[in-house]
Amino acid sequence: MRSPVLVLLLVLATAPARAADADADAAALSLADQTTSTAEQSGDWRVYLETAAREARRQGAGLALHGARLSLDARFDKTFAPGWRAVFADRLDMNRMDGASGNREINTLKEAYVSWQARPDRIADLGRINVRNGVAFGYNPTDYFRAGALRSVVSLDPASLRENRLGSGMLRGQTLWEGGSLTALYSPKLADQPSDNAYSADFGASNPRARWLLAYSDKLSAGLSPQWLLSGGAGQSPQLGLNVTALPNDATVAYFEWSGGRSASLAAQALMRPDDAAFRSRLSSGLTYTTTGNVSLSAEYEYNGAALDDAGWNALRRGSPLAYGVYRGFAGNLQDPATRHSVFLHASWQDALIKQLDLTAMVRYTVADHSRLQWLEARYHWSRVDVALQTQLNTGPPGSTYGAASERRSWQALLRYYF
Amino acid sequence: MKFVQLMAAAVLFASTGAAGAAPSAQAILAESDAIRNPGKPFALTVSLVEYRNAKQAGSNTLRVYSKADTESGQFRSLIRFVAPARDANKLMLKNGNDLWFFDPSSKASIRLSPQQRLLGQAANGDVVTVNLAKDYRAQLVAEENVADGDRQTRRSYKLALAAVSAEVTYHHIEMWLDAGNSRPIKSRFFTESGQLLKTAYYRRYQAQLGVERPTETVIIDGLDPNWVTVMRFDEYAWRDVPDLWLQRDYLPRFKPE
Repeated sequence: MRSPVLVLLLVLATAPARAADADADAAALSLADQTTSTAEQSGDWRVYLETAAREARRQGAGLALHGARLSLDARFDKTFAPGWRAVFADRLDMNRMDGASGNREINTLKEAYVSWQARPDRIADLGRINVRNGVAFGYNPTDYFRAGALRSVVSLDPASLRENRLGSGMLRGQTLWEGGSLTALYSPKLADQPSDNAYSADFGASNPRARWLLAYSDKLSAGLSPQWLLSGGAGQSPQLGLNVTALPNDATVAYFEWSGGRSASLAAQALMRPDDAAFRSRLSSGLTYTTTGNVSLSAEYEYNGAALDDAGWNALRRGSPLAYGVYRGFAGNLQDPATRHSVFLHASWQDALIKQLDLTAMVRYTVADHSRLQWLEARYHWSRVDVALQTQLNTGPPGSTYGAASERRSWQALLRYYF
Repeated sequence: MKFVQLMAAAVLFASTGAAGAAPSAQAILAESDAIRNPGKPFALTVSLVEYRNAKQAGSNTLRVYSKADTESGQFRSLIRFVAPARDANKLMLKNGNDLWFFDPSSKASIRLSPQQRLLGQAANGDVVTVNLAKDYRAQLVAEENVADGDRQTRRSYKLALAAVSAEVTYHHIEMWLDAGNSRPIKSRFFTESGQLLKTAYYRRYQAQLGVERPTETVIIDGLDPNWVTVMRFDEYAWRDVPDLWLQRDYLPRFKPE
């Protein structure tokens, strides 16, 4: 039996804490009594207007360059008859820059398609669709429809690059079962050349050649359902792809993305060199770890077996500026790294220090030339308004992946309003 | 669900009637689960209002489609974000520890770790749609008076719940159930080290899907008592939730209404 003195001491020690708990509970319940909110409804449209101002400094000395942008982004998604769904997504960017007269407008018709769900497990789609595969964050080798898809780059944030791009015109069918699915699509050639016209649907960029894709996924166990892909088209050998994720522990997601097949090197394709077709792999693999403080950290290794190796890259940097520019442009259009090995680091902190403030940081590092891109964003949001400040710093020797960027540092402030 | 209640009542009756002893803690916990959670697939709308230091700091509306897994008894859910506008139509899939987030704008399906989800508001759903009797061993520790969410004193059974598997979110839970009808009154959720994570009050009982259920849960953060979340539940409906929906590949296809 406990000593009465000990019991008394325990009571005395815990009584203030219990009283404080009771006070906190009473205050919380009083707040709940005053809460009047009711459930909101969401519409078929999601529309926002974004305005941004930016300042950039070139590599070396020089005056700051200023620019401004106004963007209108709309997405519509509606079931218009039982089993029928229409999706439309479009974005208009109006840019104004120092040294250029007037505005430069670029419209990106991201998606416009119709879906027919004939049965709960059978679906067909027709139109322009943003098909995006891949589980990695910084580089997606299995995102086979990324080539030529970027029409207007407003941010280097990978999430923005995935969202603000052209879908491809296609016919797609999917059958699903419990724990898996099979998708087949055909995307025909619809035009020859990309268009500079501001309001062009630009099928020359999204559909310059016929392509096809098969995607199969099935559940192997409770937490493991890999996705296999097979992609091909005019002028290329079939490429096999794999996406897989796993949970090493409660706080970590591991991901692995790979694509491989016979293909010519980027240099041979870009610089019209002799065909050097061989089996080449592209890979992106990493971990995302979430701390108890709500910070998610991702570290990713990226490999592009079709890009120049270190020696080839350094030789190209020291050689013809024209060949260098053509190669960089070719790789950039494919959204492929220009060198073999890269590292991508990403950190996001939700409700950082204060509620509704999100901080995001990103570093891209090229192993061959030790150049880096560093990007940082602070974003505060209210229910309909976002305010963000972004900064980007490119560092590295001349001609390196990021040292060659015309801008060394840039700042961008933006305001977004959701209707 | 009626079957569950009948079973629980039968066990309760058998244990109290036979020996006049305390009721089976596990049985009244199961009965309380059945009061919080419909026994067939269902949909409901959750409105969350978050307060920091007594000031409203945010609000969300979610539509939840949920069904209990036939083997584990735990809920598998698809959660559609309705508001605010920036998050409208984003989806979260919870199928055990298989957690996916889908953004229709970028078509990105991102796998989440349990820790990532735990830190978001969606984790408060665990306080609501979870069958505690499946994952916790209950022990009756007291029959006592407790202040309910309306500050009324109620005669209650205080249960101590201990996790039976390491995979659950909370290591142990204290729970007060109405001694007359097993309605949940209040819960306190703890880590393994005894740190209080959250306190929940269940209130505003209304008839929903055939049973008087709590339509509001007030959640008080254990580390910061000035962080309060008020969750309200309405638009309850029986809703078929096919197994086909509860996978990553269906997320881009999910358009239920």
